[in-house]
Amino acid sequence: MKRKTNLNRPEISSAEIAKRKNFDSVLKQTTIMGAKPLIKKPWFLSSVVAVTIAIVTTVVFMNQDKKADPPIVEQQEQISDSDSLALLAFYKEEEAKPCIAAPIKGLNVHYTTFKVIVEKGATLDYKTGSKIIIPKNAFADENGNLLKGEVELRYREFHDAVDFFVSGIPMTYDSAGVKYQFESAGMVEVLAYQNGKQVNMAPKKAIAIEMASDYKGTEYNFYKLDTMANNWSCLGKDKVLAKATTSKSTLSDQVVIVEVEETPEYKIFETKKVEAKKEKEVQMAALPKPIAEPSKPAQVRKGKFTFNLDVDAKEFPELNVYKGLLFEVGDENTNFNKSMYDITWDEASINEGSKAGENYKLTLKKGLKNYDLMVYPVFEGKNYETAMKNFQEKFNKYKTTLDKRIAEEKRVEEVYQAKVSENQRKQAELIKANQERVANEYKQMETTQKVMRAFTVSSFGVYNCDNPSAYPKGVLCTANIKNDLNKNLMCYDVYLVDNERNALFTYVRNPITNFSFNPKSKNMLFTVEHGVLYWLKPEQFNSITASSGAKDLLLNKVDQEFETVEEMKAYFNF
Amino acid sequence: MIETSKYHATQTDLAHEQAIVEAAKKEPAKFASLYDKYYEQIFRYIYQRVDDKEQAFDATQQVFVKAMESLHKYEFRGVPFASWLYRIASSEVNNVYRAQKQRTVNIDSVGVYGMMEEMEETKIDKYHDKIVDIIGQELPEDELQLIEMRFFEKRSFREIGEILEITENNAKVKTYRILEKLKKVIK
Repeated sequence: MKRKTNLNRPEISSAEIAKRKNFDSVLKQTTIMGAKPLIKKPWFLSSVVAVTIAIVTTVVFMNQDKKADPPIVEQQEQISDSDSLALLAFYKEEEAKPCIAAPIKGLNVHYTTFKVIVEKGATLDYKTGSKIIIPKNAFADENGNLLKGEVELRYREFHDAVDFFVSGIPMTYDSAGVKYQFESAGMVEVLAYQNGKQVNMAPKKAIAIEMASDYKGTEYNFYKLDTMANNWSCLGKDKVLAKATTSKSTLSDQVVIVEVEETPEYKIFETKKVEAKKEKEVQMAALPKPIAEPSKPAQVRKGKFTFNLDVDAKEFPELNVYKGLLFEVGDENTNFNKSMYDITWDEASINEGSKAGENYKLTLKKGLKNYDLMVYPVFEGKNYETAMKNFQEKFNKYKTTLDKRIAEEKRVEEVYQAKVSENQRKQAELIKANQERVANEYKQMETTQKVMRAFTVSSFGVYNCDNPSAYPKGVLCTANIKNDLNKNLMCYDVYLVDNERNALFTYVRNPITNFSFNPKSKNMLFTVEHGVLYWLKPEQFNSITASSGAKDLLLNKVDQEFETVEEMKAYFNF
Repeated sequence: MIETSKYHATQTDLAHEQAIVEAAKKEPAKFASLYDKYYEQIFRYIYQRVDDKEQAFDATQQVFVKAMESLHKYEFRGVPFASWLYRIASSEVNNVYRAQKQRTVNIDSVGVYGMMEEMEETKIDKYHDKIVDIIGQELPEDELQLIEMRFFEKRSFREIGEILEITENNAKVKTYRILEKLKKVIK
């Protein structure tokens, strides 16, 4: 483009700029003055045709312009496009669509219709291997009156991104204002009709569904689509069943993954462990009590004061074993005075001291006054030698009984430990066997690539076993959705398919301000403009490398018209 | 370099601004305070890039009309509301270029001297005219935008990054690469 250069052009003052402000004029020119939605305004329908023509004309002119003189910043160009009134009206129209709106006319997952005799109930087999178990008298009219005769049950399942896409069932979950994208283990829609009129589930009745699924994880929750609120309601968890073991009668007992800790065998071992411990404690208690360890006699120390007391043998048997026992006044008695020897005490008594078996409290009484002294049993001269000899004999005897006791305790402990070890060994065997069993069950599941996800529904509608998750991460940018002629697509929902995740990641409006995808996955992007399908091929994602800024994504028009969902899956290699 | 931009705001300012935007979505008249706040900035941005003053005033008016019409789809992304207005303004400027089949480059000698200072070039008078010629005629558009914003509009790298939707560091690196290139070219 030709350039004109101005050097040192005079500046315009702020005052001059301020003079030109005119917000009222802006307000008058703005076309979104009313709070009422645009599409509900009476002039909308008549004017939308004219506006569309104007937009088409603009686009044509702009395209001509582009060819002649490419824009400087391509990304910015679409702001003027997307700001157009027609686009605004289009968005409003899209947002006003019903909760479930198939994006491609004539292409959808077909219902399978079953005839059910209300009074008999039925167990129905769906083509995927799923089972629908309908109890007797499960249908009612709009007033809650039980129906009789034949009811038509319409059932369909959705298992992959193409199913989700063509069905138009929203895969976005709003949990307390936080939006998640569903990763799905499968989704079902179940409806019932009588004489062409939709009927309800009878009160207190429920239909059990065992949905064949390729996803055996337990991370999925069970949801129902609330078409009025345009959101999903979480109903709890479904149950994962091994396909081969499921049956009507054992539906709730066939949980595949049982923690080993919950098995009766494991619990028996736990009980045995407790019992062995108790047995050990009983045996220990039954062992003969060891005799008291004899106190080693102490010799009287030089310069220390002693008392010779008559001690009641019954009260202190340990003191009666030796003859010539004296009580030496301990060093801690700071109140002791040798003049205390000269006093004729009215009364003297002895009690256990601060160190049991080692010292004693001697209380001397004179009149109303008491004196407490801490005293230690000691021997003097030959008495000490005799006491020591006596002590040695008693200690030997004590040692013999003690050794015997220790040996007995050791034996009981060894018996207990042997039992514990045996128990642990058997438990380990059990855990290993359980792990092998679970691994085997998983292997079987992998072979069949199917599990059953079991749940019950007490009303008709759309249900899914899904896991709320975040958008894929890796590359983040603003994405301008264009066709292969570099023209903005007038599209609302744009769907990202990530081959590693069973989900349909939904973005709304063009451009997508926070488009993100995992560059390590095989990705595809779909959108529909005026009923025509466009897609971004997996290899085109390779060129989207930057994690910031705006990118033009040139989607390819899909010329083939699909008559069935299977045709579409084959086309996109699903 | 002295950065004179009034563009940057504290977190409190951003929150306050966001509250006004949300209010204006419901009641367009409340957009008035944003109009007052950003009118001059947007005008100067446009005027820097076009030839005619009246044309700049008209385009500024259109920016705010379009902003109000599209306000319902504005999403707060942690940057001043002005960055969104600048993107609309950029689009308007492109419309002017397309209509006139001409791009205007307004160069300020003080800005050129600032560039040479950054380039550590002391022979200011010797190279001034050469740099003006290169900026005016030869510099690729993406490089011209960076030079324009940094040296003629005295914007911070952070602000440049937010307007051009690149990182602050990227804006800085790219600008200094341009200066390096210019330094080699003028000698």
